Amino acid sequence: MENIALAEPGAHLSIWALFMQAGWVVKLVMIGLLCASIWTWAIIIDKLVAFSRMRLALNRFEQVFWSGQSLEDLYRTLADRKTTGMGAIFVAAMREWKKSFEKGAKSPLALQTRIDKAMDLALTREMERLEGRLGFLATTGSAAPFIGLFGTVIGIMTSFQAIAASKNTSLSVVAPGIAEALLATAIGLLAAIPAVIAYNKLSSDANKLGVRMEGFSDEFSAILSRQIDEKVAQKV
Amino acid sequence: MRTGLTSSVILHTVALAFGLFTLSSPPAMPAADVESVAVDIVPMEAVPQTLQGDKKSVMHEKPAPLPTKRPDVVPNAQKVGENTVDTDKPVTDEAKPKPVEKTAAPPPAPTPTEKPAVEDVPKPQEKPKPIPATEVAPTPAPKEEVKPEPVKQTDPKPTPAKEPTPAPTKDTTAAIQKEEVKPDAVAEAISQDQPTDEAKLPDSAPAPQARPKPQPAQAESAKAPDRKDADKPVKEASSKPKSDDKQFNADEISALLDKQKPSGGGAKRSTQQASLGGEKDQGQKLSKSEEGALRDQLAGCWTFPAGMEATNDLIAVISFNLDASGKLDGLPVVEKSSGNRQVDESAVRAIQKCNMAGLQVPAGKQDIWAQIKVTFDPREMLGL
Repeated sequence: MENIALAEPGAHLSIWALFMQAGWVVKLVMIGLLCASIWTWAIIIDKLVAFSRMRLALNRFEQVFWSGQSLEDLYRTLADRKTTGMGAIFVAAMREWKKSFEKGAKSPLALQTRIDKAMDLALTREMERLEGRLGFLATTGSAAPFIGLFGTVIGIMTSFQAIAASKNTSLSVVAPGIAEALLATAIGLLAAIPAVIAYNKLSSDANKLGVRMEGFSDEFSAILSRQIDEKVAQKV
Repeated sequence: MRTGLTSSVILHTVALAFGLFTLSSPPAMPAADVESVAVDIVPMEAVPQTLQGDKKSVMHEKPAPLPTKRPDVVPNAQKVGENTVDTDKPVTDEAKPKPVEKTAAPPPAPTPTEKPAVEDVPKPQEKPKPIPATEVAPTPAPKEEVKPEPVKQTDPKPTPAKEPTPAPTKDTTAAIQKEEVKPDAVAEAISQDQPTDEAKLPDSAPAPQARPKPQPAQAESAKAPDRKDADKPVKEASSKPKSDDKQFNADEISALLDKQKPSGGGAKRSTQQASLGGEKDQGQKLSKSEEGALRDQLAGCWTFPAGMEATNDLIAVISFNLDASGKLDGLPVVEKSSGNRQVDESAVRAIQKCNMAGLQVPAGKQDIWAQIKVTFDPREMLGL
């Protein structure tokens, strides 16, 4: 702490002034927290958009899927497109199905297992995409207050050292240093609170979407299994 | 992701800019100038030792009570008050101070008879009413005063004063009868007044110069009697001649009357700026010499238990109360035992023995010696 500078009494107390007269550790903490806050909000906005898009896609796909359209046609339209969510699961399952039947697979049981595996994989990939970066929100939510507190403690330490050096305890000497130090905690909380709230909401949303996709994959697996049985019966 | 990031950055920039402008420099909190209160730490033992003074004053080197309002100072007064003479009596309001003074002031001359007439005649007419009801019965007042026979100040002087008075009274009655109906009582009272004046003169000031000074004093001191005079004439207008016959010895009365004006206890004492203190003297201590005298008396009464060796640790502290007459009040209490019962009891006995013989305690400091604590140290007191 090379610059134990004393805030002159009656100093400017605007937020910018507080930031500028803080020590470099506190400044670093504040800048870091600001970045975390920016990134948190970027994630929040991104996820909100992505989730609403995903929800829309799921709705549309379910509508199409249950409209009675033949699975072959659906597969043909979706295969060359970039699909998300249920579409991706459907495409993965159908691809496996096609490959197996084109090569004339013998064992229906093995085929069933393979299709399930492919769907699981697709589901996991989708879930990963949904939940990716939510961890950062959780981390920010829990760590930002501590980081801010760290900045505050350092700032208060510095200002006390400055007070001791100035041998003056008048409130106008003490206050600016403490206000400046508290700014770090304020920024920490500012970053943490939205992060925590958003994390809770987004993770529950992702969970709901995941359950919905899982349900679809189970259902589709059942449909395919029935199809396999039918084909086996035809052959026999 | 890019949309999220850009929108987040924009959001933060806007928020920061907004914060910088709106949250800048909060208005200074106006702090009222509060006068700081000086606080002194006073040791507890100083509280019961406060001396008379002014609670709001500053501590002076020399304790001084509130200065009295009137300027004249009685040299060796013991009490504090507004009197010209040092006395305990409380202040009584004067009905009409000024006229009395004026009338009284001229008379101090030797011929008492003439002035009474002057005084009395005008007064009854002028102010029969102002006389307070309490004084309506004039007789009790003299009676009261009769008992304390040793009217200290009057006693020495009355002798000269008496002789002149009787003659005047008779003269006056005779003279007065001719002129007007003059109450004897009035005459008496007047005669009393004048002797008092004469009597006091020496008291308050060196005899020869007395006249100028005594007059104010007389005026005040004479007021009480004056009122009585005033009463009497109204009521006893007819019975005046007889009153003379009733074994009324004007001399005695004049001797017995307390000529002091009953008024605020104590004479004035202080002209200095009041020092810090309480309303009353509370905690004067016995002076070292007084303490020593008391200790010597007790030492004389103390018989150290025979066969005991006086050691340093055989020190008993005994406290006891004295009543107003200096007699032991209640039993002495062993405040701090010497560790030896015999020694403690011998100390208690010493006090009781001295009490039988009569403890000599400094007069006028009853407050101080009402409760005494004495340390009985055989080495110090008995020289053992």
